[in-house]
Amino acid sequence: FRFKDSLAEELQSADLVISHAGAGSCLETLEKGKPLIVVINDKLMDNHQLELARQLHRDGYVLYCNCSTLVETLQSMNLSALKPFPPGQPEKFASFLDKVFGLQ
Amino acid sequence: TGGHTTEILRLLSCLSESYSPRHYVLADSDKMSEAKIRSFEQKRAETFSESQFSLDRIPRSREVRQSWISSVVTTLYSILYSLPLTYKRKPDLILCNGPGTCVPVCLSAFLLGLLRIKRTIIVYVESICRVETLSLSGKILYYFSDYFIVQWPDLKKKYPKSVYLGRIV
Repeated sequence: FRFKDSLAEELQSADLVISHAGAGSCLETLEKGKPLIVVINDKLMDNHQLELARQLHRDGYVLYCNCSTLVETLQSMNLSALKPFPPGQPEKFASFLDKVFGLQ
Repeated sequence: TGGHTTEILRLLSCLSESYSPRHYVLADSDKMSEAKIRSFEQKRAETFSESQFSLDRIPRSREVRQSWISSVVTTLYSILYSLPLTYKRKPDLILCNGPGTCVPVCLSAFLLGLLRIKRTIIVYVESICRVETLSLSGKILYYFSDYFIVQWPDLKKKYPKSVYLGRIV
């Protein structure tokens, strides 16, 4: 298929996800606890998009490659070395705002 | 827009009902955010029955990769639109996280503050996608916001006046 409103179903049943470096795709996949290989498009060099993928890779949450090294990555990957992705903490933000407004 | 809306709704998820009524401002070209917002507010109303919110639209200030000069013009046009809106709502708090739409709204509020019409606290949360560099909205609002929140330590180092709370979305 080309476009769907939500990939949540597909994500839920997947064992491995191979995706572009879009933040939404990466985060949605990691939050569902699925192993992820991020493929960087060398030609679409949008540095901003790469920042997050690079950081997630550095922190050990995702595997990382480009179009030409994808096959090699798939052959040699060790998915168990990927770390589980801890959820964000919006409660810290709420706490912070409450302090700003003296609501604690 | 898209990712920004998802992030901001997550930021709102733990806020108490003191942060009410909520006025959402969207770009006129944004087709998907309204549904997400309504769904969020509907769920919220299940717990907090007195919950109130509204939705306003303003012209989009800038298209992706729009040139500098034309961006200034379109942003000025958006400010013209958002000034009366901000004046009408007189918010105590503006919470934004990066889409171009937030710049004119924040600048309007800042202006109303300078004119002693209403003092609004501006809280900017940079997107989780921004690890090493700030978005253009971030670079501008770093100087106009009361609290500027970043989600990665590198940015805290580069922008010392920012607040770092870790990942909050």
